[in-house]
Amino acid sequence: MVSEPEKGCSMIRDITIGQYYAAQSLIHRLDPRLKIIATMVYIISLFTFHDMAGYVVAILSFGAVVALSKVPLRFMLKGLKPIFFILVFTACLNLFATPGKNIFAIGVLSVTWEGLWKAVYISLRLIFLILGSSVMTLTTTPDQLTNGLEKLLGPLKAVKVPVHELAMMMSIALRFIPILVDETNKIMKAQAARGADFESGNLLQRLKNLLPILVPLFASSVRRAGDLALAMDARCYHGGGGRTKMYPLNYQKRDLCGYLVCIAYIIVLAAVVQVSPF
Amino acid sequence: MQKKSDQYMIETKDLVYEYNRRDENGDIAEIVRALDGVSLKVKKGDFIAVLGANGSGKSTFAKHLNGLLHPTEGVVYINGMQTDREGNVLPVRQMAGMVFQNPDNQIISGIVEEDVAFGPENLGVSTEEILLRVEESLKQVDMLPYRKHSPNRLSGGQKQRVAIAGVLAMHPQCIILDEATAMLDPAGRKKVLEIVMRLNKEEHITIILITHYMEDVTEADYIYVMKEGKIATSGTPGEVFEQKKILQDCALELPTATRIAQLLNEADIPVGDGILTMEELADRLDKLRG
Repeated sequence: MVSEPEKGCSMIRDITIGQYYAAQSLIHRLDPRLKIIATMVYIISLFTFHDMAGYVVAILSFGAVVALSKVPLRFMLKGLKPIFFILVFTACLNLFATPGKNIFAIGVLSVTWEGLWKAVYISLRLIFLILGSSVMTLTTTPDQLTNGLEKLLGPLKAVKVPVHELAMMMSIALRFIPILVDETNKIMKAQAARGADFESGNLLQRLKNLLPILVPLFASSVRRAGDLALAMDARCYHGGGGRTKMYPLNYQKRDLCGYLVCIAYIIVLAAVVQVSPF
Repeated sequence: MQKKSDQYMIETKDLVYEYNRRDENGDIAEIVRALDGVSLKVKKGDFIAVLGANGSGKSTFAKHLNGLLHPTEGVVYINGMQTDREGNVLPVRQMAGMVFQNPDNQIISGIVEEDVAFGPENLGVSTEEILLRVEESLKQVDMLPYRKHSPNRLSGGQKQRVAIAGVLAMHPQCIILDEATAMLDPAGRKKVLEIVMRLNKEEHITIILITHYMEDVTEADYIYVMKEGKIATSGTPGEVFEQKKILQDCALELPTATRIAQLLNEADIPVGDGILTMEELADRLDKLRG
């Protein structure tokens, strides 16, 4: 039965994948293709230098984009939470396991200058890798992202890559994630009401206990997929050929400027890294 | 194109649909005849209801009307186009749009307006025209304020109205609602039926309402009752509701007002026949008292 969203469930409906932050800004209005390419350029650039001057350029550029995007910095920093453990782990590993000039030692663990330096720049790389890509996901709706990807990968159609189909699958998956989360919740409650126990036992037992959730979830997903295919058929869907778009992607002047900024970033970065004394 | 049937929106002749039920080994266990000789004609602009219990073949019938299924025997014409003829698939589906039962499983996009645009996008309509159609369709179902919303936050009835808008944006001449009200709460159901009736009266869109709730069909111009793949009876709502025996056989329940009227008649309180709604019943009772 479809009814008004319950209070408890409505939280789950709020989950947006990629956590889009709605605002009116230049960065939001940019073409998704530009944003995807710029993000890739930025991420790759992080791995091309080993000195502090490079990081200064990268951090300053990031700051400028964030300021333009009108997304509060704390939203960006939220994205770092899930990688916090990896961050600390890699930092420690580099700190203690790099041979070189000793600073001090605690028992067998010795901290070296080289290790300290390596830990700092590897952490910076990881942090800005995540922050850089979250600028893209925070300022672009999932639909725009799939649209952009479809357009960008368009040339691959020539070598028989089903680009349109992949993009369609991606956008349908995004649409159904909240529905399936909702359904999982319902099934869990239904099974709990029948005495299922998801909280006790060892890992293997807990995994086994998940089975009564997964089986009905799969069954209903297959049914949904069948229904959706019929509905798409009924609305004249016949693949990507001859399709038009309500909001086709057209490059504007600002997008051209965006690409120029990207190139400028690469040049400045290369120049700074070349001349920097560190 | 068949000239003679152009005056009808829908025409079916001796429609038969069979499918194979297979056992675990994939061998054919039996041949099921879901539709068995259905013939009917629907005039343009009519509001037709198809009633039937679960398994009566009404949904199978609906799927024939926009080419999702092709007849085993017999023919289906939509506005003169034979549905199983090659090249007719897209024109038929554009002409006769379909709304399904589960609102969640027929909304394709994560934004209301993008979903409404899905049909016209598939048809290759130009960008400016799509924008016009999306706005117009959402206005027709009173959902324009939700244009930029995510369908996940809407109620069942609102989602169903979005689905209707998605069909309207293809500019169909006929809309088939396949149990589209079955999963809705009473208020949502009422609003959806209201909109469907408005589309019928004001836009002259032919409506085929498929349902097992007799309350939904009191306003229909004509009703077909289906049982075991055949048309058990047909007529105006008043005529059909009088055939108690057949309706009972078909496992259908009369609208509450009609049932009360019949009970009153049996109890020698002569309110008369052909009562479909509570308002009519109240009128008659008033007259009896006065």
